[in-house]
Formats: sequence, C-alpha cells, structure tokens
Amino acid sequence: MTEPTVPEPYVAESPGREAWRMYSRNRTALFGLGLLFVILAITFYGSFFYAGDAYDIVWAPHEPPMVTPEFPLGTDYLGRDIVTGMLKGGGPTMAVGAAAALITMVIGVSLGALAGFYGGWIDTALMRFTEFFQVLPALLFAMVLVTLFSPSLWTIAFAIGVVSWPQTARLTRAEFMKIKELEYVTAARAIGAKNTRIIWKVILPNAAPPLIVSAALTIGVAILFEAGLSFLGLGDPNVMSWGLMIGANRDQLLDAWWPVTFPGLAIFLTVLAVSLVGDGLNDAFNPKLRER
Amino acid sequence: MSTVLDVRDLTVRFDLPRPSMFAARPQLEAVRAVSFTLEEGRALGLVGESGSGKTTTAMAAIRLTEAAGGQVLFDGDDLLKLSAEQMRLRRRDVGLIFQDPYSSLNPRARVVDIVREPLDLMDIGTMDERMGRVRELFTLVGLREDQLSLFPHQFSGGQRQRISIARALTTNPKLLVCDEPVSALDVAIQAQILNLLARLKQELGLSYLFISHDLGVVRHVCDDVAVMYLGQIVEQAPVATLFDAPRHPYTQALLAAAPSLKRRKSQGYTRAMQIKGDPPSPINPPKGCAFAARCPKSRQICTEQRPTLQKSDNSRVACFFPA
Amino acid sequence: MSALLEIEDLNVTFNTRYGAVTALDSVSLHVNAGETLGVVGESGCGKSITALSVMGLIPSPPGRIAGGSIRLNGEELTTASPARMRAIRGAEAAMIFQEPMTSLNPVFTVGAQIAEAIMLHQKVGADQAMRAAVALLDRVGIPSPDARARDYPHQLSGGMRQRVMIAMAVSCRPKMLIADEPTTALDVTVQAQIFDLLNEIQRDFGAAIVLITHDMGAIAEMADRVAVMYAGRVIEGATADDVLDHPQHPYARGLIDCIPNIAKGDAALREIPGVVPPLHLLGAGCAFAARCAHANNRCHTEKPKLAAHGHHPAACHAVQEGRI
Repeated sequence: MTEPTVPEPYVAESPGREAWRMYSRNRTALFGLGLLFVILAITFYGSFFYAGDAYDIVWAPHEPPMVTPEFPLGTDYLGRDIVTGMLKGGGPTMAVGAAAALITMVIGVSLGALAGFYGGWIDTALMRFTEFFQVLPALLFAMVLVTLFSPSLWTIAFAIGVVSWPQTARLTRAEFMKIKELEYVTAARAIGAKNTRIIWKVILPNAAPPLIVSAALTIGVAILFEAGLSFLGLGDPNVMSWGLMIGANRDQLLDAWWPVTFPGLAIFLTVLAVSLVGDGLNDAFNPKLRER
Repeated sequence: MSTVLDVRDLTVRFDLPRPSMFAARPQLEAVRAVSFTLEEGRALGLVGESGSGKTTTAMAAIRLTEAAGGQVLFDGDDLLKLSAEQMRLRRRDVGLIFQDPYSSLNPRARVVDIVREPLDLMDIGTMDERMGRVRELFTLVGLREDQLSLFPHQFSGGQRQRISIARALTTNPKLLVCDEPVSALDVAIQAQILNLLARLKQELGLSYLFISHDLGVVRHVCDDVAVMYLGQIVEQAPVATLFDAPRHPYTQALLAAAPSLKRRKSQGYTRAMQIKGDPPSPINPPKGCAFAARCPKSRQICTEQRPTLQKSDNSRVACFFPA
Repeated sequence: MSALLEIEDLNVTFNTRYGAVTALDSVSLHVNAGETLGVVGESGCGKSITALSVMGLIPSPPGRIAGGSIRLNGEELTTASPARMRAIRGAEAAMIFQEPMTSLNPVFTVGAQIAEAIMLHQKVGADQAMRAAVALLDRVGIPSPDARARDYPHQLSGGMRQRVMIAMAVSCRPKMLIADEPTTALDVTVQAQIFDLLNEIQRDFGAAIVLITHDMGAIAEMADRVAVMYAGRVIEGATADDVLDHPQHPYARGLIDCIPNIAKGDAALREIPGVVPPLHLLGAGCAFAARCAHANNRCHTEKPKLAAHGHHPAACHAVQEGRI
C-alpha cells in the first residue's frame, strides 16, 4: 500500500503483447536480440556467398588474417579457409544448442511437472532420480555418452540434454508446487477439469515465463558444452562447427592465434546474445517491474 | 421443499509432517463429524474464525478436499462414494465462488474462455450455443459484451468477482458454494456483489452454502446460520433467531465483537462480552468443550466432557449451559 | 484544546508510467491531543499515503510531497532533516501496520526488537531495555511475557504479533499513534481485543490515535472525529456521531448505507455504482461525480471545496447548494 492503485486502462492487451512491451523497453535486451539476429543472418546468408566446402584445403596453412584478400581471416593448420568454416559451422553449432535445449526442456518440464503436481511418492521417486543425474559430473558423463554412441551432432545434443535437464526439472517442480495451490487451479477442478488438462493447459502456461528464460539460457550453456566436447576431440568430425575448429587448431595456438580466436569470439558473442535475451525475458515476465 | 445437500458426520483429517523419520504421521482433525442439511432455495451460512474448519467443511462436501469419513447426499447420491469420473461429471451441478478475485481466475486465459470452459469440459451444446450462453451470463451478472475478450487483470476486483460468479453459473447448477465471496472487496463493491447474489438466488432458485467470517454479510444473505468453532458446529439456527437470541457463549462473543454503527465511543460504549486469547490449536484439541478455555461460563464439566448438538425447535446448540 | 497534529493543504504526487499523478490533493486534517481521529475510505483513496507522509515514509522516488505542511506539536515535518525524522519516528509518533508478520523482523526475538526500539531513543542499558520490553508485553496483555519475549514472531499468533507491534509503538510513549488498518488481518474476536487494547492505551498514555480503516463499524467504536477520504481528498470531516448519523456527502451516505448490518436484516443494500476512478484519469470536476446521483454540470467541471453548509463540512456542490 505504498503506491496509489492505478488500474490499467481497459484495452485488450494479451500477456504476450504486454511482455513484448516490457521487453522492448529494455535496451540491453534489445541489443542482445539484435545481435542474435545479426549472427543468425550472417551464418544463414553468408553460406550462400561462400559456397565452398569448409573442409577443402584452399591455400597454404597458417595464412594470417588480412594478408590475402580472398581469405580475410586467414587459414588453419591444414590451409582451410576460416571464414568458410565460421559461416558453415555456425548453423550446426546453434542447431546443437537449440536441440540440446529442447531435449533438456522436454525431459525437465515433464518430470518436474509430474513431481510438482502429484507430490507424494511420485515426487519422492522422481526427485531421487533427478538427484542421481545431478550428482554426476556433467562433462564427464556427457563424454561417456558421446564415446558410447560415437560422436555425431545428434548424440552430442542428446548427451548435453541428458546431463542438463535436472535443473529444469527442479525449477518446473517448484513452479508447479507454487501454482497448484492457487485458487484458479481449484476452480478448474471445481468445473470438472481432468488432471492432464490442469497440468498442461492451466498450470504450465502460468509456469512458462521462468521456463522460457531458463530455456534461453540453456541454449547458451549447450553451445558452450558443444564447444567443450569438440575441444576435447569428441565433436562430430564430419560436420563443421565452431567448437570443432577450436578443437582441431588448439595444438597450434602458440604458432597461429587466429584459427582458434575467431570461432571463440563467435561462440562468445552468440552466448552473450542468447544470455541477454534470456535476462531480458526474465525482466519482461517479472510483474514487479511492470508499473515502472 | 426438498433437501439439496445432506451432510452427515463429515470428518476431514490432514497429515502433519513426521516428527522423526520412523514416527507415525500425526494427524490434525480439521472437521469433526459435522452434519447439516441445506434446503432448496435457501442459503446456509457457515460462520467462524480462521481455523474453525468452515472452508474445509465446504470443500470436503463437494470433494475438493478429501474427507476421512461421513456422507454427503446430493440429489440422491453419496458424493463421497462416486468414482472420480462420476464426480467429475457431477460438478456441473455445483458452482464455486472464491474469496480472492485476483487468484481465482487463470491470468493467462481470456474471460470469455474462462466463462465458457465449464461447457467445454462437460461437452454441452455447440460452439455457437456455448457463446450464446456466455453472452447471456455476462448480461446476467452485469458485465458488457465488449469486455469478453479481455484478460482478468484488466478488470477491477468487483468485476472479477462477477466473472467468477458467471463461471459458477455456466452449467446451471443447483448449488452454489460461496467461499468468503466479498471479504476481499471494498465495502461499496461488497454491496454490489451481495445484491447480485441475492438477486440470482431469487431469480434462479439457487441454494447457497455461504462461508463467511463477517456476521453482517451473513445476516444479509443467509436464511440459516451454522457457527463453527475448532472443526465443529456449536450452534445452528435460522438467521433471525441466531442474531436476536444467540444461545452459545461463542456466538454471543462473536456478535459482541462484530463492529456495529450502533456502538459509539461517544456514548461510552464498552464491550459487553469480551473473550480472551486465541482459539486452541486443532493439533491438540482439548478433551472437553473446545471453547471452555475462553468461555466466561465455563465450569468443571465443560473441560471434562464434550457437549453434543442438542436440537430444540429448528435450532441446535452444543453447550452444557446455553442461554 | 490545541491541535497536536496539523496537516494543511498537503499535496503528494507519485510518478507512474502515466506521468505524475496526484495521490493527495490539498488534504487538511488536525488531531487533538488524546483523541482518536478515524480516517475512512476505500482502497486507493489516499488514507495510507496520508499516514506515511506524517511519518516521513513516502517512498521517494516515485513519491514526493509537492506542497503543504505537516506540523506535529508545532514542528514542521515536511522540511525536517532525515535525522530529525528518525528521532521523531518512534519517540513522538509511532505507526502500527496492517500485517504484523511483515513489519517484525523474523530473525530476532520479539523482546529483543522492542528493547532495540527502546535503546534507539532512550539512554538505557540492554538489561534495563529488556526489562522494559517485558513490562510492555505484560501491559499489552500478553500472557507469560517473560517467556514470550524470547519467542520469534512466527511462534506467535496474529493477534499476539499485533500486540507486540503495539508494545513496540508505545515503548517510548509517543504522543501520536498511527494505526493503519491494524485489524484487517485478524479474526473478529481478536479485532475486538485489539480495539479495546488501543482504547485502554489511549486512556493510560494519553496518546492521540489516527485510525485508518475502511470499516465504518470500527469508526463508530473507536473514533471521536472522522475524516472521509475519496480519491486523494478529504470530502467530509466532523465528529463521529455527526458523520454516522447525518452524513452529508453522497459518498459518505453511500458508504454508511452499503454496510450489511448485523442489527438489521433483509432490505437490499444501497449500492454505490461503479468503481473509484484511477488517479491518472481524474478530471477537473468532483472525483465522485461519475458515480453520484446528484451530479450536475458544475460537479463535472469544478472541484468542490471542503466547506461547512448546514450540519458540518463536506466537499460537495449539491450539499452546499442545498440540493440534497
């Protein structure tokens, strides 16, 4: 009661539209979104301009950047063009990130929703299961999975998803436990809604904001994870990715900095953009910031 | 006049956390063998302070809280014995209105969908018929059709409560359970909602199970009143009898405590009957009368034996020394 | 009787996303020593803002005192330094809030919190302050105060916590107590206990009380004088009996008629149609005009002033013109 109540004007503004209005007021978040669009556009359209194969050896090895006009970022230890690698590798890198985040969300949200909604022994069983995954060292576990199933883009995404869902599950469970006590959930039951409807149609949309934020941040984490695995030589050798470029060139880092630095910079900027978008979404969904 | 709801010996227990890993789970008896009947077209008020079990009683009667025992006869069926699916289908006959107009409507749904949802769930009518019913309800509760596609947060508290009432009425229920429907509203808005509820009861022949802590509101809406204390009914009577000649000391104390425009500081008003302390905890209920520790008339028998409801005329009271 | 608290033409504005809105518009009130002033109105009418202004607790930004004066015992508070306001709060004027659970610190015992409040304003040792705290708990009717002083807030019931808040508020014997909806969160029998306690405290300590409430029944039981507020303005002010028995302003009449009374039964309640207008949409005229059955052209274009006509002061053209 510290501020006078100022009721909203009566215009139909959907929650999504309202969130966008809040989001668009946040400059850093808009910058992140812009950066993300630029990165996506460059990697998407760029690969049309650079039609060559990123694996082709096109020049002498370790050509420094800004020396030969055809190869503005230089070449790597085998003489492959770095610009082509960056443009061709961006798509798979981001695809792995998105796929891993999707797997994380599907497993995490499903288990968290069931545990939080039903409680009791279902909750106890699912949470012990979650903790089992949570205590495993994530990178090691992912490495084991990738080695077991032979490295491909999909096994890598799967491995990252399998090791990162427990956090999402815990977040979802906490949201469900909070929301299921609210009166509109009782109201849904009172008009004869079944449990499946209450879980997916009533509680989940209301639990969505923190989950969307967490999904955005998970994409960033997954991209880093993929880079880490590739760096350790566990990337998919048949698909060019930024992580693979770093992994392949890391031994020559002291002789040639550029084959590692440029993909690293790309990863940094992408993760930064995704994180800024995630933070922006977090603020946009936070009702406490609405009236400012 | 026929009976809409006949509740017999309804009991609700809640589990408490175990004190240690291997100890038995202690239980709290929130509602202890409560019985009452609600006649068609009448409103029964359940009155009591927080922790009296009034809301739990109503929620258990319509199976939104699990009952530990008893019977709830509604239209010839014992609701507590129905299968989950049978119960789900019976929900069309019972409407529910909540206290908090801010948390009782799904913030992510448009109000038209909120009001139509009961018809969707019960699969009643075509889409056109359902939309027609929603428009009809909007007019009935005093909302405008151009507000149909708005979201709940775009309405004031009183309007949200109207939406809540519309949703409860969608499937033409016989019984409306109202859980403190006006206590979160400003007085001027309270009057609007109370008048609306009174009008709907008259026009649609509804029966209300009306939960409230506000005696003024109960006096205005209800035909009969049951006063609850620590999970039990301590007195039940027609509204005029209960307010004019309360018999249980707790009812008397409640009436003395309720603020009234007639009691003026300027005329040196001091409270006739003041009870001390807080209600006892339902975790460890006293052996005798639950009210004995706060009761000015308490004697030895009150702390040793539990008084049962004694019927006289059309009222009941559970007290060894009723007025 | 001299006025202990005098508020004159107080204006408070808040910056919101609709621009600056006027939360208090030329509010004038006075409270005499030892009396109870009831401030009544619906949520958003400015009653809490008035209380917070007196205590120097308006959140700033977004809030700001834009004009007018508040004098406590002749001392101007709107221009007082923050240090001086801290000295006044607790020692000369104290406040009791609606929700005692959130106004008490959950990690300290209630005894320690009262002792702390005492040591803040008086030069006494910790032991002596603790003894005073226990005595205060006893004074506000808490059984076995020695043991309760060692309890944490969550171990007490809502009524007990509100008693602790009152003990803390009166610990330095302030001349002025502001109670902002002190019983809204409590059960009716406990509310009666708290009201009786406040009346007792007033008799024993001679403190003036400002009781902020939305409940006309509470006004009847507690108040000597009443100020009715609507949309940031005082629209009627007089003795409690005058306002309750002969309300002048249509809003005050409506507020009294719309209360379901335990003493009378069936008759339909009188409604006040519509809702309180949002502060950023207030026009040039009377804020109540849109909901008022007696409104005419003048009501929609010109703000009525609080002026006596007939019985007692009311800010209403219709009353002043003798139309009602």
